[in-house]
Amino acid sequence: MLRYLAKRGITYVFMIFLTTSAGYFLAVSSLKPALLEQERIPRPTPEQVANSMRLKGLDPDLSPWERYVEWLTAILTRWDWGRSPNGAFINAEFGDRVWISTRLFLASIILTLVIGVALGVYSAARQYKFQDRVITSYSYLAYIVPAPIAYFLVQLGAININETVGERIFFVTGISTPGMEPGWAQFIDMLAHYAVPTVAITLVGWGSYQIAQRQYLLDNVNADFVRTARAKGLTRNQAISRHALRVSFIPVAQSIAFTIPAIFAGGFFAEKIFAWPGVGSWSIDAISLQDVNAATATLAYGSVIFALGAILADFATTLVDPRVRVQ
Amino acid sequence: MSSEIAAGPVDQPQSAVERLHIAGLHAPADAILSVRDMNVRFNTENGVVHAVRGVDFDLMPGKTLGIVGESGSGKSVTSLAIMGLLPSTAEVTGSVRLKGKELLGLSDKAMCEYRGNELAMVFQDPLSSLTPVYTVGNQIIEALTIHNPTMSKQAKEARAVELLAMVGIPSPKERLRAFPHEFSGGMRQRVMIAIAIANNPRVLIADEPTTALDVTIQAQVLEVLHTAQEETGAAVVMITHDLGVVAGMADDIMVMYAGRPVETGAVDDIYYNPRMPYTMGLLGAVPRVDVAEKSSLVPIEGMPPNLIHTPTGCSFAPRCPLAADACLEGEPALAPVPGPAAHRAACIKSGSLGGDVDVHDVFAAPPVPVSRFDAIPREERSTVLQLKDVRKHFPLTKGALLKRRIGTVKAVDGLSFDIREGECFSIVGESGSGKTTTLLEIMEFHKDQDGEVVIGGISNKQAADGKTRSAMRRELQMVFQDPTGALDPRFTVYEVLAEPLQNAGMNKVDTKKRIMELMKLVGLQPDHVNRFPNQFSGGQRQRIGIARALAVNPKLVVLDEPVSALDVSVQAGVINLLDKLRAELGLSYLLVAHDLSVVRHISNRVAVMYLGKIVEIGEVDRVFDNPRHPYTRALLSAIPVPDPQLERTRERIILRGDLPSPLGTPKGCNFATRCPVFAALPAAKQEKCLTLEPPLEQVAPSPAARTLAADPLPALDQRFACFFPDGELDEDMLVVHESADHHAP
Repeated sequence: MLRYLAKRGITYVFMIFLTTSAGYFLAVSSLKPALLEQERIPRPTPEQVANSMRLKGLDPDLSPWERYVEWLTAILTRWDWGRSPNGAFINAEFGDRVWISTRLFLASIILTLVIGVALGVYSAARQYKFQDRVITSYSYLAYIVPAPIAYFLVQLGAININETVGERIFFVTGISTPGMEPGWAQFIDMLAHYAVPTVAITLVGWGSYQIAQRQYLLDNVNADFVRTARAKGLTRNQAISRHALRVSFIPVAQSIAFTIPAIFAGGFFAEKIFAWPGVGSWSIDAISLQDVNAATATLAYGSVIFALGAILADFATTLVDPRVRVQ
Repeated sequence: MSSEIAAGPVDQPQSAVERLHIAGLHAPADAILSVRDMNVRFNTENGVVHAVRGVDFDLMPGKTLGIVGESGSGKSVTSLAIMGLLPSTAEVTGSVRLKGKELLGLSDKAMCEYRGNELAMVFQDPLSSLTPVYTVGNQIIEALTIHNPTMSKQAKEARAVELLAMVGIPSPKERLRAFPHEFSGGMRQRVMIAIAIANNPRVLIADEPTTALDVTIQAQVLEVLHTAQEETGAAVVMITHDLGVVAGMADDIMVMYAGRPVETGAVDDIYYNPRMPYTMGLLGAVPRVDVAEKSSLVPIEGMPPNLIHTPTGCSFAPRCPLAADACLEGEPALAPVPGPAAHRAACIKSGSLGGDVDVHDVFAAPPVPVSRFDAIPREERSTVLQLKDVRKHFPLTKGALLKRRIGTVKAVDGLSFDIREGECFSIVGESGSGKTTTLLEIMEFHKDQDGEVVIGGISNKQAADGKTRSAMRRELQMVFQDPTGALDPRFTVYEVLAEPLQNAGMNKVDTKKRIMELMKLVGLQPDHVNRFPNQFSGGQRQRIGIARALAVNPKLVVLDEPVSALDVSVQAGVINLLDKLRAELGLSYLLVAHDLSVVRHISNRVAVMYLGKIVEIGEVDRVFDNPRHPYTRALLSAIPVPDPQLERTRERIILRGDLPSPLGTPKGCNFATRCPVFAALPAAKQEKCLTLEPPLEQVAPSPAARTLAADPLPALDQRFACFFPDGELDEDMLVVHESADHHAP
């Protein structure tokens, strides 16, 4: 298993290197931070701009290849991902933002998975009954409604609750109230900030898992091996929960890999709407601010998340399916 | 609606309650399982399908009942209804009593007490019947745990090992921890049997347990079922469409048609003295592997009825050659036939049918077609296909990016044979022996192939351009196994048949004329050309497939399992058609089939393949009557014959294990690992088998024939690859069932 993980890890590191390098070349040849500098008042001379850029390691006079070598050497030797045109260090900014994004999405991802799979099983067991129709219709609705609109609706709902109660229970934007004393009050404040985005992302996200899990389980409910299990003396429900469920989870486990990066990629809507300055919103900002290093760093982060998701899916698949051999 | 009410069972005046009451009183006290007036209805979108209509039977302890019928006859539904495993949409009425206790109407939970305990079942498809994510041991132990919650873990494990050993799985202790995908089909079916007999059931239902398996594996599994029955003393219900499989096993037979039992009785009565035209037809429709018959098979025309409509007369009447007006007035009851035995048939004419009535007279079997080539000696006919040392080796690689070759699968390894005009040449062997790869190699027809393929004088070595290849396609056409999959569902029959003709550059008028000709040729109505394939039955679809192959007037038709997807009664019609076409059009066939009886019936010559090599080849009657290679002998002895008396006394060679992986083929004889002769040889002679590869050698005429004949005898058309064809067989692999434990009542 370890050897297998190491092998997969090396492959993914190679792939991350390739995508990041390609991304860097694309960014360095299309993003021109020097142009933005010229909009400042008083307008700096071209020499001043070039000088300021050179100091931040963003020399516009060097060829893309020279800048790439410089950038790569800094990462490999000092783990220095460079600076933004405004002078901020990518490493410092990145650490903060990853932490914010992780906090925003981790709970939702886990909740989405658990609720989606559980509802899928529940609705499959009650195929075409009232509960199934309601749950599955909801899932399709969640599929269709664009995520930003759903987030706004949840925000409105939270504001409504606040107004009805007449007290501010939920915060619809922001990470925390500044200046809180550590302790119980801070914990309550954190929950109040977490609740709305987590609920919003989860409500939108579980639909796809519910539909997939329901479908795969229904495919297996009438499988020959479920009939064998019943012929042994298990009731129908026992046979389904002991035999069909695990088999039906195999394809769901595989799909997880590709939803984790999707959540990350779609994350900038959530980050913007709920005003959590995470990696997603940073990547959008980086492009509008002509920030080569930040754009490349967010791309690298996306690749890493994707690789982690894929390894996780491999892991989950080998865990539930003995036919998959680890070599 | 009123017509439906009027169409009730005319011959059964009592109400169902009365009937059940009487039936209950009349059920033999010692019957382990009594089924009375069982009816199963399914509500579908098209209406109510009455899948099982009034099944009655009693099963005595330790006895075997064979339920025989074609697909859709209701045999599987009957077994699932007994088990209570039908979907909740099924409506089951009547009575099923296990040791006097009523099972019908019990809840799923209450049924669980019986299922897997006193009542167990083995299903048809072993590949999908085991849960892929649990170990085999886990699944056997689960069956024990459900019914023996107090049993200790060690005791359950010990019992599981014992069960696996009983069904003949080598090193059972280790195999407990293996997953189903690590077992072959035959091995998985053994595991299924082990699960079924785990709690010593009183009744074991086996639903087509060997249909999905190769003949040699079928023989093994039937042997295991036999052992299981002996060990547990269970009564067995054996459901099958194959009259050969039950002939040697069953004590009683119930023949089902259109959801009803149409004939029941002791096995000998049914096979030797059938009183219902359908049973007679079924027996006549099956070719025999042990007889060099020169008569056509009996085709049963038409299709089984649609069970949505309640039949107003005998449901077999539309297909029955003896049907009279009286047959259409009410369904005949299952009534005793004259004679001493408990033999019943549902036919108003059963009195006039009997052992001395020839089925060929009842069903107008066509005359045996004679080909103009039959009179010409084989050597003087021209060759239509020749293979010279054809090989197909697949490299087995490992690794994702950098592939390393870790071995070679020799799917076809040095094949040479030829097919002459007007003859049918067959290739037989287990799955994995390389039959299909051989066909694919012939169809491939590429100059870079290893070995030479000559089709109608055109060699693959000169087939560089498309022109030669299309010339070759006109010489050779193919008919596929699955007629449904081989026809485009969006093409009408006309379009299906027109395509090859247009490809050959035929104009519209001629195409139309040719299509009408083809429809008549294969026995379809010419005015059906505008229908889509799904409007035809399986047998008719295969006829369309044959017509398509014949469209361009090929000399050679490659038939890949042409009848294996068809029911027995339909199969006979298609075989007769193939026979007729060969004679009338002077066609040659290359047939691949796993059913050796079919092969014997229509072939002139046969090759037996094992692991990519021909082990025996020659004239079909010579090879089948006087097999020389131990593998051919085993293969032939494994095929059940629809003849109960012969089956009971037949000596059977049970090969050990499965076809080995073609990966690490040994240096010497491929078959040595499973060979019954090899197992009995002294070590010195075994050495020869292991180190030298036996060449294909001519069978010498027997010494007696040599002395009798004045002239030097012509060489016999039979060659085989074995050093010790006359060696003694290993006794452990020989099985003869004493007729004592299967005496007819």
